[in-house]
Amino acid sequence: MTTPAAARPSLSRFVLTALAWLPVTFVIWYFAAPALLWPVRMLATIITHAGFGDLVRSVSADGATLSFLTTLKPGRIDAAGIVSVDVNMLLYAFGLPLFAALTLAAGGRRVRAMAIGYIALVPFMTWGVLADFLKNIAITSSPLIASQAGFSALQREMIAFAYQFGSLILPAVAPAVAWVLTHRRFLEQLRASVR
Amino acid sequence: MVRFFVLFIVLLAVLFGLELTPWAQTFVVVPWTNALAGIATWIVTLFDADVVASGKVIRSASNGFAVSIEAGCNGVEATLVLLAAILAYPAPWRYKVLGFIIGVVAVQALNVVRVISLFYLGQWSFQVFEWAHLYVWQVLIMLDVMIVWLVWVRRVPATPGHPPGAPPPAALAAG
Repeated sequence: MTTPAAARPSLSRFVLTALAWLPVTFVIWYFAAPALLWPVRMLATIITHAGFGDLVRSVSADGATLSFLTTLKPGRIDAAGIVSVDVNMLLYAFGLPLFAALTLAAGGRRVRAMAIGYIALVPFMTWGVLADFLKNIAITSSPLIASQAGFSALQREMIAFAYQFGSLILPAVAPAVAWVLTHRRFLEQLRASVR
Repeated sequence: MVRFFVLFIVLLAVLFGLELTPWAQTFVVVPWTNALAGIATWIVTLFDADVVASGKVIRSASNGFAVSIEAGCNGVEATLVLLAAILAYPAPWRYKVLGFIIGVVAVQALNVVRVISLFYLGQWSFQVFEWAHLYVWQVLIMLDVMIVWLVWVRRVPATPGHPPGAPPPAALAAG
């Protein structure tokens, strides 16, 4: 069944509607961040305990900030105190308001698409948060702390790449890809509407 | 659709990996970033003569406030995303080259606006600067890349078996 020309979406109207939704989605995202990012916190906690149990004592959240209490000492091994790393989860989650604005602008099954996109984005946000934590203890910390973490040169290179990819590419690209995947029919109509 | 996304992700990872190499940083990223600072400064001096550029830093000569254009703000990553999306999409090479050239201009034009706006927002309110820098402009630049790509896709001739204006194939129509 073909789509009537009048019912076909217009790109300019779609873009303007998305831009109009952005301030709204940004405000909701900012104030609801502790709840919206709860799954990220949970996933990050599970992964750190499973994969870096020897390095992380506990993970706690204060608003949108995730604190990793490590087993690493800030100075000499016999010195008092332990290293804590704070990660701002919002840095890796700004794609949520973008995805929401695009979804609201596209229409259709918004709640379904929103739920699918949100679930799909949780692992990518967690990637950024964990890579940020690992970058802090393995690369940007003092040599004394980095040496206690015990990562090899190759592992440090991998952490650096994961951090760069997780902070410069994924937060913006993942929501765009998720939106395209959840709106294939809309995109087809949009593509056809120019002719 | 699957082929497009697999190709897009592989291309993006490879291009991003290449961008991080010392060679690319020295011969592409640093000159690109310095040129961006120079262009932004030149535009600003049309209405504010107190601004100077030094490498990738834009500085106000009157109050000393400065912004340094770092990775993520130089538009290189946005350009790589656009390049990967154009290369991954099935289209004649003539369309890919033309789309990329026009797309880079469109993305970088908005990026110049980002740099200039952040330079003045930072002098007005650091909190607003942080918000705009870390969240809002990241989203707007990605939206710009998406719009450029969507406009380009609409101009690309239809692939055989999927003529322009045709209903979406059942395999695609899941959104």
